[in-house]
Amino acid sequence: MIEFKDVHLSFSGREILKGISMQIPDGSITAILGPSGSGKSTIIKLMVGLIQPTYGQVFVDGVDISRFSEEQLFPIRRKMGIVFQGNALFDSMSVGENMGFFLRENLDLPEEEVAHRVQSQLKFAGLETHAYQLPDSLSGGMRKRVAIGRALIFEPEMILFDEPTAGLDPVSSKKILDVIKQLKQEKRLGAVVVTHIISDVFAVADNVLVLYQGELIFQDTPEKMRKCNHPFVKSFLADPEEL
Amino acid sequence: MKEFVRTMQEFFWFSLRTIKSFRFARRYWTEILEQMYISGTESVPIVVVSSLAIGCLLTVEVGNQLEGFGAKLLTGRTTALSVIREMGPIVTGLMLSARVGARNGSELGAMQISEQIDALRAFGTDPIARLVMPRLFSALVMFFPLTALSDFVGLVGGGVVAQIYHHIDPGFYWNSALNLLVVKDFVVGALKPFAFAIIITLVSCFNGFSATGGTAGVGRSTIKGIVVSSGLVLVANFYISKLVLENLNF
Repeated sequence: MIEFKDVHLSFSGREILKGISMQIPDGSITAILGPSGSGKSTIIKLMVGLIQPTYGQVFVDGVDISRFSEEQLFPIRRKMGIVFQGNALFDSMSVGENMGFFLRENLDLPEEEVAHRVQSQLKFAGLETHAYQLPDSLSGGMRKRVAIGRALIFEPEMILFDEPTAGLDPVSSKKILDVIKQLKQEKRLGAVVVTHIISDVFAVADNVLVLYQGELIFQDTPEKMRKCNHPFVKSFLADPEEL
Repeated sequence: MKEFVRTMQEFFWFSLRTIKSFRFARRYWTEILEQMYISGTESVPIVVVSSLAIGCLLTVEVGNQLEGFGAKLLTGRTTALSVIREMGPIVTGLMLSARVGARNGSELGAMQISEQIDALRAFGTDPIARLVMPRLFSALVMFFPLTALSDFVGLVGGGVVAQIYHHIDPGFYWNSALNLLVVKDFVVGALKPFAFAIIITLVSCFNGFSATGGTAGVGRSTIKGIVVSSGLVLVANFYISKLVLENLNF
């Protein structure tokens, strides 16, 4: 479980997050919804310790990681796979090499085991025939699936998605959302989905947190969000394209 | 001022972490070899061309000036001192600052902008050990032979020009060039490439890691890396010469 206690974050005097407190339970899909620039991606980075809060605490499985060093964070990070908004694939490596990179880097596994795990992720992502291609030669949806495969390679307990469907066509978006649901159903893998697309929330989320101007203004189920009276949530539901 | 102090503090920790990550050198030996090829072998043409040009030009100018005092035969000696103590290291340093510094800054900057460095950290790989340490290691190994090559090419170019332009006998040129050199001339020339390797690599990599603001940000950080490292190379060159030549007496 991931827990935030009164987390504040400032960059160059600008307050990005203003006292965020929340809990992300294991095994469920939690969506963090908000307009661009509201600090959604920052929350994901705080969860894996890529940035440290200015004030407050971040707990992962009950351990306060908010002041951990890089070395202390490595085992924590292996519990969570992360899919970056731009995928962050290594463009000089093939799809298969991208997927196996961190296994080769961090685990002393025999090459057969690495190859087996990579093959299994390629199969899951439906990319068996693309193993030797470079990421640049793939479509946006396929690149996203490579990033998901790479995030799953350590068999994490939770997977964090930063804007998983941003910039994808409707068919690719649906495929990615189906993968997120499949991960929960088949592998019992919890997920945090950061998005500004409200249809994604209703498609996959068990819980939703709404972030507005650095503050959490709503935490509950997507169904209850429909009845929320906060003006921002109401306007988001009424006309999400405007935001 | 506050921003400057914070940047210096971050640079200090960045440098310290890079030095500490030398313990992973064996693990990343393939990356080190790759970087040695990129920063060393591939830099040979630019170092040869620039050193040749400077060696030739230096001999022409020095010979012309000495001729006025009837001391043209000292051209070899003056050229050798200038090349080995100053021009060889500084030309190599500036060329490598442009070539290696630009490559480090732009490549790491692009990785930072596209979140690849965050991805390394998020999946448990230390990006400094993986990306910066091999660059520094290879620069420390390769900059010295490149400087030695630069010295040699500069002296050869000077010798050719001395013969063709100033009509100085090659035997006399080489005798006057090499016989009067002393240990401290070689020490001052040999220390500089190691200092330049540290300056160029750390400054350019730090700027790459600090890139923000999209592709324009990569350009800015690359330029900043080259400008700062070139400036520091010139300053370090002065102080190394001053310290060694004033304090070494053999």
